[in-house]
Amino acid sequence: MDDNTFDPDLIHAIFKLVWSRRALQREKNEGAQTLEGETGAGTSKKTRPTFANANALKLSCELLRVFVTEAVERAATIAEAEGASKIEATHLERVLPQLLLDF
Amino acid sequence: MEGGGAVGSDVEREEEEEEEEDAATDLLRDRFRLSSIRIAESEAKRNNIQISQPVMACIADLAFKYTEQLAKDLELFAQHAGRKSVNMEDVILSAHRNEHLATLLRFFCNDLKAKEPHSVSLELCSYSAQLFTP
Repeated sequence: MDDNTFDPDLIHAIFKLVWSRRALQREKNEGAQTLEGETGAGTSKKTRPTFANANALKLSCELLRVFVTEAVERAATIAEAEGASKIEATHLERVLPQLLLDF
Repeated sequence: MEGGGAVGSDVEREEEEEEEEDAATDLLRDRFRLSSIRIAESEAKRNNIQISQPVMACIADLAFKYTEQLAKDLELFAQHAGRKSVNMEDVILSAHRNEHLATLLRFFCNDLKAKEPHSVSLELCSYSAQLFTP
C-alpha cells in the first residue's frame, strides 16, 4: 500500500468552506423570508455548521484518491491500447463519461 | 473604505468577506491540485507511462469539483439522518451507485474501525470540551 493520499485536514478545510458557504446562503434566504433583526443565539444554533468525524474524513480521502487513480489508470489503458507512451487529453476524453458515471 | 450608513458598511463588509473567502478557496484549490497531481504522477509511474501536464490539471480540477459535490452530499445525508456530524456511513452512502466502490470503501471503513476503537470516546471528549467553553 502506498501512503500517497490526500491530507484529511485539507479535505476537512474544503468541506468546511463549502458548508459555511451553504450555511450563509441558507441564512440569507431565511433572513429574506422572516426579516427579523434578531440574529442571536437562536439562529446561530439552528445554522450551526456541519462537522465531520476523523474517520469519515479519512474515508473521503480514500474515495478521492480512488477517483484520481481510476482516472489515470483508465486513461493509461486507452493510451497503451493506442501504443502511445504518454497519456494525452484525447485518452482522458475517451474514459471521462464512464468515469463520471461511476463516481 | 468608510460606509455612509449602517447598511452601506454591511454591504461592504459582506463584499470583503466574499473576497476573503475567494482567496481562501483559491489557496485550498491550489493545495488540493498539488496533492492530486502528486497522486496522479505516482499512479502513472506505477503503470510505466508518462502523463501530460494538461491531463493532470484536468484530473485535479475534476477531483476538486467532485470534492465540493461530495461535501454537499455528505451534509444532506447527515441532515437527513438528523445529525450535525458526518460519519463513515454517509461517505459510503455517497458511493452507493457503484457497488465495487461501495465495497472498497466498506473494507477501508472496517480497517479504520479495527485500527482505532477509541475514536468514539475521543469524539465525546472534544464535544464536551466544546460544551464547557463559554
